[in-house]
Amino acid sequence: MKQITIIAVIAGFAALLPLAIGENPYFIGVLISVLMMAALSSAWNILGGYAGQYSFGHAAYFGAGAYTTMILISRFNINPLVSMVAGIIVACIIALITGSIVFRLRGHYFGLASIAVAEIVRLSALNFDFTGGAQGILLSDVSLWGLDLNSKLPFYYGMLLVLVITLGITLNLRTSKTGYYLQAIREDQDAAASLGINLSFYKNKALLISAALTSVLGSLYAVYIRFIDTTAVLDLRLSIEIILTAIIGGVGTLWGPVLGAVLLVPLAEMLRSNVIGDVLVKQGIVSANSGLGVFLKENLAHAHVLVYGIITVLCILYMPKGILGLFRRKK
Amino acid sequence: MIQHLLHINHVSKHFGGNVAVSDISFSVDEKQIFGLIGPNGAGKTTLFNCISGFYPVTSGDIIFDNKTINNLRPDEVCHMGMARTWQRVKPLGSLTVLENVMIGAFSITNATRDAEEIAIEQLRSVGLTDYAQKIAGSLSIGLKKKLELARVLATRPKMLLLDEICGGLNHTETETILDIIREVRNKGATIVFIEHDMKAVTAICDWIVVLNSGEKLAEGTPEEITGNPEVIAAYLGGGHNA
Repeated sequence: MKQITIIAVIAGFAALLPLAIGENPYFIGVLISVLMMAALSSAWNILGGYAGQYSFGHAAYFGAGAYTTMILISRFNINPLVSMVAGIIVACIIALITGSIVFRLRGHYFGLASIAVAEIVRLSALNFDFTGGAQGILLSDVSLWGLDLNSKLPFYYGMLLVLVITLGITLNLRTSKTGYYLQAIREDQDAAASLGINLSFYKNKALLISAALTSVLGSLYAVYIRFIDTTAVLDLRLSIEIILTAIIGGVGTLWGPVLGAVLLVPLAEMLRSNVIGDVLVKQGIVSANSGLGVFLKENLAHAHVLVYGIITVLCILYMPKGILGLFRRKK
Repeated sequence: MIQHLLHINHVSKHFGGNVAVSDISFSVDEKQIFGLIGPNGAGKTTLFNCISGFYPVTSGDIIFDNKTINNLRPDEVCHMGMARTWQRVKPLGSLTVLENVMIGAFSITNATRDAEEIAIEQLRSVGLTDYAQKIAGSLSIGLKKKLELARVLATRPKMLLLDEICGGLNHTETETILDIIREVRNKGATIVFIEHDMKAVTAICDWIVVLNSGEKLAEGTPEEITGNPEVIAAYLGGGHNA
């Protein structure tokens, strides 16, 4: 079956999912997180997986979208869609500045520089007044075309749409000149340059596509939650989660980031809401008063990043090409 | 005056205080097979890196197709019609052989279908058709060298810079590669050929420049070069500055 058909079928299934499970706000919320992380990780994958440029600072573009949108809506009452486009422009400007500086660097140095840029953006947002500083920005009311933005459904479909667009772009990359050029850059930059590939042009192109998509997701997220601060949208933790999702699913593959998000986000959610601890205690497997019980109930909820870390280490040791890598022999 | 395709005019390349290439001048004519030889450390590859845009020259000019190309990037040099191979082969390891060659072909077309056609044709010309769907990183060294050749030929170069394309190959493999190079020249391309192996060079080159310790030691036809006592001394290590 052609990949584009698979994308369409899965998207259709996902579109019908809310009808099937009823409008349970909790489950819809988890699904929105899954879709968002799948899209974020897929967007990162265009730069990291195809062009081989590991950005550790993608939170900067997510935050750029989120902050621009929130500032424009809350201060100037500008239409959310227009604000989203403004967010894309801001993210692309940051990307162009970043790219022109850090793409001179190769390998680990590029990764380190991308962290530095993201931290500059974070610290700026934390210290400027127009970004709300440490208090962040709260949005009391927002409307668009009479849509019920108090419901989670518009955001579910918004995230799904961005995911489908991102997968479509990725699919196109696999058969286009740009996609081949990005892969050539990933494999060997000198060989790529000697074959007529303008390295900085194509790296910047991949970064711009990736940053623009990431910023749209930031805008959606901000309007969905209606509150942002630097911890929520500009934190290094977010950049790392995006990368881990791609690595665990399978870097440089179409479906890897999606698979990573489908597995990891619900897992993190279960840890956070303490489902595992509750079940073990209720079944009488672990006593609530024992040391392990207290650990499960009290500490594990805060440990989802720790669990991500352990999974990543296992992943790098035993399946360096991610879960999808186990099933692939070629490419 | 004859029009030269490539003219190296008093080119020097220093790395800090280290002089890798010192005041080298020579010219390459169209459709020539031009040999650049010399012992290890003579500066052959450094000179190639300067010509193909990877190193900026310290002084001097490199003129290709009547344009000074000193300050061009490697990709710009490639688009002017000069393509190079690497002494230590650089296959795009996780891509297929066909995709490797397609990436070369993309320098003359934007359409994936055209690139694929060019690549298939080019793979046939070097005898790699059977390996088209293999992962490039898994090939033997002989096949990797052929792949390098197919990949640069797909950029349709006016001039080919081949850096020890026969290095590490056995006699039969060397013969095949030399045949391919002759055929490429007969179709109108010019070839500059770095080689260690005197036998391969004298068999194929029209004109040879010998480098030693970054300087030009001699130039001439293969017969003149093999009879030159200075060249023999440099190669055997018994001479003046070897």
